[in-house]
Amino acid sequence: MSGLAWGALYGLAAGLVIAVAALIGVWGERKVAGRIQMRIGPQELGPFGLLQTLADTLKLVLKEDITPAAADVRIFRIAPLIVFAPIAMSFVIIPYASGFAPLDTSVGILFFMAVPAISVIGVLLAGWSSRNTYATIGGLRAAAQMISYELPRTLSILPFVLLAGSMRPLDIMDEWRWWWIPLTFIAFVVYFISSIAEVNRGPFDLPEAESELVAGYFADYSGIRWAIFMMAEYGGMVAAALFGAVFWFGGYLHLPGAFGVIMLIAMATLLAIGMIWVKWTFPRMRPDQLMGTAWKVLTPMALVQLVIIGVVIPWL
Amino acid sequence: MAVTHGKGATPRHDEIGAPVRTPHAVPVTINVTDDFPGGTKGFFARWRSLLTGLGITGRRALGPVSTLRYPHEKYTLSPRWRGALRLRGVLGRDDIPIISSAPPEYNAGIDELYRSDRLPPCVGNCPANVDARGQGYYLGEGQPAEAYELVRERNILPGVLGRICHHPCETACRRNYYDEPVAIRPLHRHAYEEYAKVASERLTPFERTRTQRIAIIGSGPSGLTAAYDLMKLGYAVSVYEKEKKPGGALFSGVPSYRLPREVLQDEIDNLVTLGMELKLGVEVGKDVPIDYLIGEYDAVLIAVGLQESRIIPVPGHSAEGVMGALPFLRDANWKGDAGVSGKRVLVIGGGNVAVDVARCALRTGAVEVHLACLEGEDEMPCHPWEIEEALDEGVIAMCSLGPEEVLVDENGKVRGMRMRECLSVFDASGRFSPQFGEETTDVELDVIVFSVGQGPVLADVVAGSDLTLTERGLLPVDGTLFTTHHPGVFACGEIVTGPGSAIASIATGHEAATSVHRFLEGRDLAEDRVARPVPVYDKYQVADVKGVEANRRRVTMPMAKPEERATDFRPVELGLTHLEALNEAARCLRCQSEVCVGCTFCARTCPDYAIEVERTDDPGERRVTHYDLDLSKCCFCGLCAEQCPTDALTHTGQYELSFYHRELTIFDRHEMVRDGGGTRATGRDGVHEGAPGVTQ
Amino acid sequence: MTAEIGSDACFTNRIDPGVDELVVNVGPSHPSTHGVCRVIVHLDGEVVTKAEPVIGYLHRGIEKMAENRTYLQVVPLTDRLDYVGSMYANWAYCRAVERLAGIQVPERAEYLRVIVCEMQRIASHMMSLGSAAADTGAATMFIYAFDQRERVIEAFEELCGARLTYNYVRPGGVSFEIPEGWTERVLQFCRDHREGLEQMDRLFFGNVIAKDRMKHIGVLSPEDAVAWGASGPVARGSGVNWDMRKHDPYSVYPRFDFDVPTGSNGDCYDRARVRLFECYESCRIIEQAISQMHPGPIRTPGLPRLLAPRPGDAYDHIESARGALGVYLVSDGSVRPYRMKVRSPAFCNLALLPLLAEGHMLSDLVVILGSLDPVFGEVDR
Repeated sequence: MSGLAWGALYGLAAGLVIAVAALIGVWGERKVAGRIQMRIGPQELGPFGLLQTLADTLKLVLKEDITPAAADVRIFRIAPLIVFAPIAMSFVIIPYASGFAPLDTSVGILFFMAVPAISVIGVLLAGWSSRNTYATIGGLRAAAQMISYELPRTLSILPFVLLAGSMRPLDIMDEWRWWWIPLTFIAFVVYFISSIAEVNRGPFDLPEAESELVAGYFADYSGIRWAIFMMAEYGGMVAAALFGAVFWFGGYLHLPGAFGVIMLIAMATLLAIGMIWVKWTFPRMRPDQLMGTAWKVLTPMALVQLVIIGVVIPWL
Repeated sequence: MAVTHGKGATPRHDEIGAPVRTPHAVPVTINVTDDFPGGTKGFFARWRSLLTGLGITGRRALGPVSTLRYPHEKYTLSPRWRGALRLRGVLGRDDIPIISSAPPEYNAGIDELYRSDRLPPCVGNCPANVDARGQGYYLGEGQPAEAYELVRERNILPGVLGRICHHPCETACRRNYYDEPVAIRPLHRHAYEEYAKVASERLTPFERTRTQRIAIIGSGPSGLTAAYDLMKLGYAVSVYEKEKKPGGALFSGVPSYRLPREVLQDEIDNLVTLGMELKLGVEVGKDVPIDYLIGEYDAVLIAVGLQESRIIPVPGHSAEGVMGALPFLRDANWKGDAGVSGKRVLVIGGGNVAVDVARCALRTGAVEVHLACLEGEDEMPCHPWEIEEALDEGVIAMCSLGPEEVLVDENGKVRGMRMRECLSVFDASGRFSPQFGEETTDVELDVIVFSVGQGPVLADVVAGSDLTLTERGLLPVDGTLFTTHHPGVFACGEIVTGPGSAIASIATGHEAATSVHRFLEGRDLAEDRVARPVPVYDKYQVADVKGVEANRRRVTMPMAKPEERATDFRPVELGLTHLEALNEAARCLRCQSEVCVGCTFCARTCPDYAIEVERTDDPGERRVTHYDLDLSKCCFCGLCAEQCPTDALTHTGQYELSFYHRELTIFDRHEMVRDGGGTRATGRDGVHEGAPGVTQ
Repeated sequence: MTAEIGSDACFTNRIDPGVDELVVNVGPSHPSTHGVCRVIVHLDGEVVTKAEPVIGYLHRGIEKMAENRTYLQVVPLTDRLDYVGSMYANWAYCRAVERLAGIQVPERAEYLRVIVCEMQRIASHMMSLGSAAADTGAATMFIYAFDQRERVIEAFEELCGARLTYNYVRPGGVSFEIPEGWTERVLQFCRDHREGLEQMDRLFFGNVIAKDRMKHIGVLSPEDAVAWGASGPVARGSGVNWDMRKHDPYSVYPRFDFDVPTGSNGDCYDRARVRLFECYESCRIIEQAISQMHPGPIRTPGLPRLLAPRPGDAYDHIESARGALGVYLVSDGSVRPYRMKVRSPAFCNLALLPLLAEGHMLSDLVVILGSLDPVFGEVDR
């Protein structure tokens, strides 16, 4: 009973955190993209336009929830949740402060790699159930892409498992040393790129490629269901940024309490800005090039990194 | 690879910078293909290209923004922005502006109108800036006396000029673009004829409000103009005329078949009624010395005109039978006989005076009249309608011939003239420099009249004063201020400008009057003055082209039959009837008045047929009854506003309309003239109840 | 599965189970069709086996409308032909009218026409480059290109009061004299524009992803380019050195010193980059034209408002941003053209789409379409 209650509490908290993170993420993306494009971005609602996203969310909630006549109704309706829930779950294993992670488990790394991958099923279902060629192509692309990029992403985390000798994030944080940063640089590049691909953001946003597939797998979604897809995307981005900040930037840097949390958020913000920057700079890849990058560039790079770590460890 | 050219062999039309066509020449090209190098170098180049991209976007992100910080900054539309349309004014609600002010301010007003692009082309092209638009308006409204008085403000003798003016106003008339110009000159004449019926009631002498007195020497057009202006300002004016009849060149130079003497006399009598003192038969310099005038009057204005004809000093030019144009015309006009009865006459010269001489020679009994000039047929300096009428009457034109030698018989009388062919009159830079060919022609004749130029005779006039003449007998006069080097003595008319038109002389009279007035008030003469008479407004001189849209043709002036009129001095032009004049006045477009007159040019030029215009044309009841603009059809091309001769139809600096109701997009007459910067086409000041002119 | 044009199957983006081939309807309302083009795409996986453009969604009958309008009234219609480059259609039409009526255009008007048309080329190419980049997903490049385009549009707004349908070039000249200080602003723009072009070149054309996306995609051989009547950057991208301004020089173009950029591969990359380099050349032409221009009349003096050319016909073409844009006019002596025919380069270039798209992926289809740079106002007329 108590386990269920705690679970519900964690779920609620995670939902709130993701919602706020997504709101700020959307605002931040619009601001950064605006600056890159010599614009100002949102500026009307609230200070610096901060409330703009909130207003947009309200609008989306109020919009009509349209289900296409030909859609597989039940799957169509459930798909956004299947996409969103695993992303929300991934937040629980992140060590936010010294000695604190909401879910402290010895297989934390495995959890982080495995659970969000479930969302690919939701994407596939959304694309299929829409009964729309664009959505189907988008869903199929998403499945291929996300499954392919799981591999380099997982490989890029392994160096820390090797270095710390544990899959428990809190253990890894305890072991963390500054010289891990140069040592795992290649892994960082691989992690950064494959994380972008994993959350379907540019230049790897093929499943939703606007110029080709209009909106890809969520082409037929509207209102709050569409908003949940967006939240999943931004939630995934925030999770990836937090996770990257924890391992490659040292997370809370052994700082106590709130200082550590602030440090973590600051560094995650930097990473998120980097992701936004990349998205608004580069053109989109083609599906075959996308797969080629995963299998021919990133996977070998991650393996090279593992070899380096393997060679270095005996000398530590 | 060979690229062949598929066009026909037709040469391109005469084109600016017509090229030497070299379709097979291969121009320099730039190859745009760009590849990464191979191998490791290429691997690093690929990664570097990503960093380059991030660097560029990053730098832009830190740079300035190119958008506006709304609402603190707003976008300003171009002044030429083609927004929704509105009318500035509409006939029936707004009055046509009348250009009228006291003489010294008139020019400033005209300049102001010109700068704001509100000057009608007819007024702009008239040397004296006569308000022909206002004349058309008054005539169309059935108020000919008001029309006459308006014209008289600037053109002191409307009845006279209505017969003899060379009407630069009609040249510039915007009707030229569509069909034919408005008959402004015949309308002057008509206004005079209508005015003459009521003149006795309307003429009230000007009140004399100032003590100064002014003497004007010469009663030609410029002298009379200055006299009128100064009388209006309240001065006492005395006009000295050496002949027994007033009018100057108008009397002695203009043949009476063009200007009946009673008209001239009547208009000058009107001036006398207004308070002008006219001293006939008093020749300044002979009867009265000019020093006396300078001492007696506060200001003296010399407006004696040109009285001497030039004679080209070819061999034999002093033979009996060779004469100048002015003495010839003087004789013909004063005595009705120039001594050419039954003789063969050759007129040398191609100007208007030469044509007058030729036509007078016919009327005084010459059996054969030749007109010889240097210029070719199509470049004669006289007005085309003049030579046309002369040819109708039987004058023989001999073009491109220059005088070589007067052939004299043993008695010292003229026997004939040897003419040499003229190849070109002007050199490359446009200066007068005739080139003669080899070929000569001999003409048998009895009288030769030289009409090749005129000069002033001033020695007598200025004798005894400290005014001095140049070596060529000219009086040095400031071309803008019309002052001489003696303070208080002014000059105007053709002694300043050289031979020209009557209306240009009149313009100088206005200017001289302004100078006299300022001099007597002790003000700076040069303040705000521009060189006049025009061409100041040369942009209006180009409309001399016939259009093809001939729906409302110009009234035809009835003319006496050529074979009959050539025998005596009866008037050639017979004048318009009242109805003809009303119709003609209605043709006037009221250019630049900013009041829609319902000319329908906008409706006819609209590519979307979005405009409907209707009007009534009754005299005194001219109304635009219907003006509908369907803004949902409008494509904002701007052709209608461009065509609008009155500038009434304009674009607002606002965006397009957005309405749900189809009916709201149709703007009627009231909506089009709504005040407040626009129509309801715009969002922010949309329809509000009770706004002026809104119809529901 | 066969999808005949006009059948219901064409309009439903439905998956037909049991069929290997997927028929996708791209357009007529789609983010990357540059207007209202519809392409029926047959997909094998993601590979296009057949692409069939369907046009006519923007057909307004402009050629027919012209027969009911006077020669002056047709000018605003030509604005709506190629609405990305209105000046070109204006000019081509006016040249045909001037040829028909034997009108001599004042020199200053010719210079102004050249200046505005080269600016229009920049604006049009910026639109093309920007949307080609947007087709590949590079949204920022799109904004950078449109930033440059906006400067030109603002100059046009200042010049003639409109931002898209200028109605500026008229039979016998142009409609407005340039405002005060305009030439200085245009020269300043030319200087800034070169910097912007250089930056865009490095940001987009040097980028590895953009190169991968556009290189060797939609390769058009020079022989095919000539055989299919391609012109403009599409033909020049294939190495066909064919520019009306050089090969059939009109107006005052022979007085300017400029080069013709050409590609060598005939792929999307070369076609797009030809446009980029043409903007440099346009800047050169604008600068030369401004320095050579003298004051003078901007319209043939005394031209009647209503033209009625002698019976006959005339054809004239200019190099628009999309290629050889020609207008054929027949006059029967009345005030309205008897027939107007527009030879639109976009239409001829669009015909290459099935040829180029076959065998490429769906993602490449939009890139190929973008590199052909069709404007459907001109294709459908």
